[in-house]
Amino acid sequence: MPATVVLLWLANIVLDTFGQLSFKAAAAPALGVGLARWKAMAHKPWIWIGVGCYIGEFLVWLAFLSLVPLSEGVLLGSINIVAVMVAGRIFFAEKFSPLRTVGILLVASGVAVVGLGG
Amino acid sequence: MRRFYLIGFLVLVCFDTFAQVCFKLTANHALPPEANLAWVLRVASSPWVYAAIACYIGAFITWMALLEHAPIGPAFAASHLEVVSVLALSVVIFNERISAAQLIGSALIIAGIVCLAISETDAEKPPADA
Repeated sequence: MPATVVLLWLANIVLDTFGQLSFKAAAAPALGVGLARWKAMAHKPWIWIGVGCYIGEFLVWLAFLSLVPLSEGVLLGSINIVAVMVAGRIFFAEKFSPLRTVGILLVASGVAVVGLGG
Repeated sequence: MRRFYLIGFLVLVCFDTFAQVCFKLTANHALPPEANLAWVLRVASSPWVYAAIACYIGAFITWMALLEHAPIGPAFAASHLEVVSVLALSVVIFNERISAAQLIGSALIIAGIVCLAISETDAEKPPADA
C-alpha cells in the first residue's frame, strides 16, 4: 500500500476511535433527562470534539475511498471495531468477558468478510 | 435495561438503514453523477436527501441515549447490524445481488451480536439497574 493510503487509513482509525470515546464521555449518566440532558452535554466540550472527529473522519474517508475500492475500505474499516473495543477497555475500564470478546471479534470478522465479498 | 438496549438498538438500526436507503434514492434521483452545480441542485431538489439527514439526526440522538449506559466497545460493534440490514434492503428495494461472502459475513455479524446480547443478559443478573 502506498504511504498516503496507510496514513489516511490510520487517520480514519484514530478519528473514529477518538470520536466514539468522546461521545461516550459526553453521554455520561446523571446529566438529567430529555432536553436538560442535551443542554448539559452541549455545555461540555466532549460532544463537540466528537462531532469534530466525525467531520474529519468523513473527509479522510472520502480521500481514502478515492484511492481504495469501497470493498477494501469496508474490509480495513472492520479494524475500527477492535480499536474501539480496546480503547473502551483502556479509557472506560470496560470489562472483557470471554463471550463479549468473542461477540465483538465475530462482528469485526463479519464486516471484513462482507468487505472481501463486495 | 435489557428492554432499553433492545428498543434502542432497533431504533438506531432503523434510522441508520433508512438513511442509507434515502441516500441511494437521492443518488438515483440526481442521476447522472456530475461534479457540478447542476448535480448539487438535483440532489437538493430530491425530498429523499432531507429524509436522509433527518434519519442521521435521529440516529445521533438514539446513539447518545444508548451510550448513557451502554459500554462503547460492544455498543459500537452491535451498531454494525446496519451492514446486514442495508444488504437485505438493497436486495428487496433495489434488486441488487449479494454474494456468498456477503451472506457469510452477515451471518457472522448476527452471531456476534447474539453473543453480545447473551453476555449483557448474564452481566445483569446480580443487581439489575433498569
